[in-house]
Amino acid sequence: MSQHAPPRWLERALLRCLPARDRETISGDLLEEYREVQLPHHGPLRANIWYLRQLISFLAVRSFGGSTMRASLAWMSVITALAGVWLAVMEHILKHPGYAGRSTVAACIVIQGLATVLFLMWHGRPIFRLIVQAGALGATVLGASAIIRMLNAPHFEGFVLLIGAALIVQGILALAVVGGARHGAAV
Amino acid sequence: MRQTGHWSFIQAQYAHPPAAHDSCHLDIHSFLIYIVDIMAELLGAFEQAVLLAVWNLAGQAYGRAVLRGTETALDRKAAAGAVYATLDRLEQKGLLTSHVETGTPVRSGRARRYYQLTAIGVRALNESKAALEQLWQGAKWPLESKA
Repeated sequence: MSQHAPPRWLERALLRCLPARDRETISGDLLEEYREVQLPHHGPLRANIWYLRQLISFLAVRSFGGSTMRASLAWMSVITALAGVWLAVMEHILKHPGYAGRSTVAACIVIQGLATVLFLMWHGRPIFRLIVQAGALGATVLGASAIIRMLNAPHFEGFVLLIGAALIVQGILALAVVGGARHGAAV
Repeated sequence: MRQTGHWSFIQAQYAHPPAAHDSCHLDIHSFLIYIVDIMAELLGAFEQAVLLAVWNLAGQAYGRAVLRGTETALDRKAAAGAVYATLDRLEQKGLLTSHVETGTPVRSGRARRYYQLTAIGVRALNESKAALEQLWQGAKWPLESKA
């Protein structure tokens, strides 16, 4: 079995998310477990799924490990991205006047949420930092304006309040995390 | 988070202890005890399980073996990422040291990193157990509802 190995793309992805010091040792440990236990006992498919699960665990630690603020930002980004998808779908179904513009805003919310998650996973890339900073400012302003407009509207719409609050929280968290990362703080 | 400041200082003190006539000796020793006491309180169950796994494996504590030892100690599956991150953190704190040895053919010759408890690590584990026992002293176990 020693000639068998996990798919190359999985190994490459694992190596990318490991610190340089541990690349050889940790990938060696996983290869050993893969060849000695997973492959002989569970077959190639389940062995590859096992390897993928290990990769996800390293990705999770690298992205969110050791920081409540980063983890909170990650969850808020996922929530706002899902809210954006829901808004876009509802606008597309209902097709009220001006839905195209609102759908675009919803798409921006989705992109902003996903960009923040990508930033957390591959931080250090300046392009992600710029996108996240701009997105965070945009999300905060959008959330505040949505809440103000809702408060002045004749009908109370709870989902606008929730999504607006989520956008503000996500924006503030993102600015704090990006600011901390720039100044070398462990966030 | 890399807490290199305090831990580098502690490691340096252990590696090069000051001479007995050094007027700072007692203060530094007290400081070390103070730090280890704090650390014992901060050692979580997962960290204790990882440290115990390293201790139980003696000279054979490399990543994969520690992962299995941790799972055995906790009686549940543990994420590899969490175990390696904990090993890294404990090493940064000076509770563990590690060295690399040549790998075997089954791992395509990739090196193995072996971990070992330091004196601070042993002390932190002992303090953790003592703190837990102190906490439960006088309580009749298992606890019964007073309601």
